Amino acid sequence: MTRQEILTELKKVISPYTTNKEMLADINENTDLIRDLKINSANLVDIIIDAEAKYNIEIDYDAADKMMNVGTCIDVISERLK
Amino acid sequence: MISAGNDIVALTAINAARTKQPEFYSKILSPAEKSLYQAPLPEAVPFEIFVWLLWSVKESAYKFLQRHNPALLFTPVKFEVKELHFPTGFTINNFNVGEIEAVGFADDFAIKSTLRFGEYTLYSRSLIYNELLLSTVNDNDSFDDVYWGIKAIDNADNEIQSATVRDFSLNRLKELGFKNPVISKNGHGVPVLMEGGEEIKIPVSLSHHDYWVAYAFSLNKAE
Repeated sequence: MTRQEILTELKKVISPYTTNKEMLADINENTDLIRDLKINSANLVDIIIDAEAKYNIEIDYDAADKMMNVGTCIDVISERLK
Repeated sequence: MISAGNDIVALTAINAARTKQPEFYSKILSPAEKSLYQAPLPEAVPFEIFVWLLWSVKESAYKFLQRHNPALLFTPVKFEVKELHFPTGFTINNFNVGEIEAVGFADDFAIKSTLRFGEYTLYSRSLIYNELLLSTVNDNDSFDDVYWGIKAIDNADNEIQSATVRDFSLNRLKELGFKNPVISKNGHGVPVLMEGGEEIKIPVSLSHHDYWVAYAFSLNKAE
């Protein structure tokens, strides 16, 4: 998958956890999950679990802590899809 | 260390079934922390609430340390709760009131923990109600100078949560003698207390989740 394809799918993973749908439509690799999309930190584990299920990958805690913005989420996912 | 860290979790908003799944809680708890959940604790506290209790302690500790280390990443399992003490005869009750404000935590009411992250040892006090749980962290085991508050709100919109928790904490500071305090956020997202255009070195921690907001600050930590 290209980074753009991962980003498109990632929007669907993130969508249930943000009410800021306008910002979600315009996300880029610099979009911060908490500050920009106003996702509550209590939902970060949900996003990781949902991403694991969607891409059939395992994201360990050392990788999970990097998933703070869209770009680093794509990095972690694309590394595990190789 | 001049800092503050708190976290509130709306227990009505968590997914209890998902929390109990190993793939979920193993991203929050270390195996040693899971072993802290032993008799008689399970009789009083469901496992999913135990998980979120430790989450809130860890998140509070992260906020406490991140004020001075903006690049710090939040890896829950690396913030390890070493000791956890519940008051004798602990039970979970309804919140029942619109808001609570206090200084310090009564020994017969609050859950205490000791937590380590790298070289740091931190301490927490937590409260659990049926609707929510709240944690506050300090770098010593006294919370006598920690002012805190919990408030129910009727709109969970993010902007309203943020505005309400700021007003809630600022009103408390005004009661304590500050004339026109303002809270802004620095470039790393950390709340900074200002008055008359100058920063006041009182660390304030703000938290919100769903229909709940909470603040914590420590007056004696002022420089």
